Amino acid sequence: MAARAHHKSEERLPVPPPKDSVASSEVSLYRNVLKIKQEHELEDLGISFFDAESTIQWSYNADHYFHAASTMKLAVLLGVFRQVDRGELALDAPVHVRNRFTSIVNQEPFMLDLGRDADPDVYGHLGKTLSVRELSYWMITKSSNLATNLLVEVVGIPTIQLALDELEIDGIRVLRGVEDQRAFEAGLNNEVTANGLLKLLRLVADGKAYSQKACDEMLSIMLDQQYRSGIPAGLPKEVRVAHKTGNISTVHHDAGIVYIEGRKPYVLVILTQFAAETGRGTAVADVSRDIFNALAGSAYE
Amino acid sequence: MNEEDVEDQGLKVVDAFDLDDELRAVLKPGEMVRDAQGRRHRLPRYFYEIPSHEVALKTRLTPHFGLNEFVLADLKEASRLHDYPRYVPCAVRLLAFYLEQFRHAAGASVHIAVNGGYRSPSHKLSQNATPHMWGTAADVYRIGSNILKTKEAIEKYNELAEDVSDEIHVLPYGHVTGRHADDHVHLDLGYITLIPREISEDRMEQPQENRPRFAFEERRRVDRRAATVPAGEE
Ligand SMILES: [Zn+2]
Repeated sequence: MAARAHHKSEERLPVPPPKDSVASSEVSLYRNVLKIKQEHELEDLGISFFDAESTIQWSYNADHYFHAASTMKLAVLLGVFRQVDRGELALDAPVHVRNRFTSIVNQEPFMLDLGRDADPDVYGHLGKTLSVRELSYWMITKSSNLATNLLVEVVGIPTIQLALDELEIDGIRVLRGVEDQRAFEAGLNNEVTANGLLKLLRLVADGKAYSQKACDEMLSIMLDQQYRSGIPAGLPKEVRVAHKTGNISTVHHDAGIVYIEGRKPYVLVILTQFAAETGRGTAVADVSRDIFNALAGSAYE
Repeated sequence: MNEEDVEDQGLKVVDAFDLDDELRAVLKPGEMVRDAQGRRHRLPRYFYEIPSHEVALKTRLTPHFGLNEFVLADLKEASRLHDYPRYVPCAVRLLAFYLEQFRHAAGASVHIAVNGGYRSPSHKLSQNATPHMWGTAADVYRIGSNILKTKEAIEKYNELAEDVSDEIHVLPYGHVTGRHADDHVHLDLGYITLIPREISEDRMEQPQENRPRFAFEERRRVDRRAATVPAGEE
C-alpha cells in the first residue's frame, strides 16, 4: 500500500482498468477491504460505490445501518433544495442565527456546545442573520452543527424525510438535528447505510435530484469541502471530490463523488465504526485508495 | 423627538381594517388572542405604513433607534409581511423611547435581533400572545460587542432594564420557553395599544374573527346558503 501511495507523485492521468481485469480487481478489492477492517480494528465497515465510467457497482455490508453522524447533513441539504426548487424557500432568505433548539424528546430546549463546533463563520453571527445559502455552505463545507440545526428548523424534519421518500432513497433515516443529547440518550439517532448515501449522491451527480440547477448548486457546495482526511486522502491531489464527512467518537464516514479528468466520475461511500479507544485512524483513506486503484489507478500500479 | 421623527417622515397611520384581505388575515386587527397564561388580549388595529426599505432605514424613532430595527424578521414571519409597504403597530414608538433609556444605562449599543422586534400574529414564534405582537417588546442578543449567553450577562442587563423604569418587564433567566430567556434579554412594556391623535375612533368594526377573511370565503358562504335551500321544495 505504501508503495502505491508513493507512485501518486507521478502526474499521469489515470485510466480505467481493462475489462478482463474487473473480476480480479473485485477479488483483490474484497481481500484488501477485509485486511483494512482487521488492521484498523473496525467493528463495522460499510462500502458502496458506483463507477459511471465502467458502470461497475460494488458494495460490502452496504445495507447495514450506521450512526449517521454528519453525513445526515446531505439529507438536510437535499431537503433545503427541494424547497428552493419548488419556490417555497429562497436561497437569499435571511435566517436568525440563534443557538437554542428543541429536543425531539419532551420538547426540551438545548444549546450546542459552541466550543466544540469549529465554525466561527456561523456562530460569529449569533443574534444576526445568515442566508439559507450561507448556512447550507457552512453546514457542508465546515460541517457546522449550528447551521445544520438552523436549516433543520427552517425546512423541518418531515420535509427532509419527504424528500428522501420522493426520490426513493432508502437507507437514510433522519429523525432530528444534531447534538440533541436527550434524543441520543433515548437511542433516537439518524442512521445511514452505504447504499442509502450512494443513491442520494448518484441522483445529485446525475442531475436528477429535483433539477439540474439544484444539483449544480449542491455539487458546488460539496466540492468546497474543507475536511479532507477521508476519501480525498487516498487520492492523488489533482482529483476533485464533492463530499461530506461524518465523525463522532466511534464512527468516521465519508461519502462523495470523485471527479477524475478524462473519465466519468465515481460515487463512493465508506462508513466505519470502531471502539472509542481505538480512534479513527486512516481506514477511510485506505479504502478510498484501494478503490481508486481498482477503478482508475492501473496506471499507478 | 428630533427633526427626523415619525411625523416629519410622513409615515401614514392606517387602520388595519382598511387593508386588503390578505393583510388583514395576517395582521388580525382587533382579534382576541390568548397569552401563555390563558389571558385574552385584543390585537392592535392602528399601524404605521412603511412604504419602502429606504424609508425604514432612514426613519429614526429616537437618536439611536431606527424604525428598520423593529421590523427585522426572517423566514418565520408571514411572507406577505416581507413585502413593502410593511406595517408596524404605532406603540413601537414607546418601545423605542424606553430602549433609548436602556441604551443610555447600558452605556453601549443595544442590538434588537432579527425576529426580536415586532412579530405579527402570523409569525411562527407567535404561538401565544406576547407583547412582540403589539410592537412593545424587544429581544436583545448583543449589547456592544457582548453576546448575551451567560446567566451573569443576562441577569446584569435584566436588572439594568428594570432600573430604567417600572414599565419595563423582563423575562428572568431560565430555560422554559415563553417564561424565561437563556440566550437573550427580552424586555417589554406589556400590551399597549396606541391610538394616534389623528385617528377618530367613531368607526366601529367587527373584529376579523367574526367575518370572513377573504372574498372567496364570502362567496363560499353565499354558495352554502344557496345550497341549503332544497331543490324542488316550496
Ligand atoms: Zn421576546
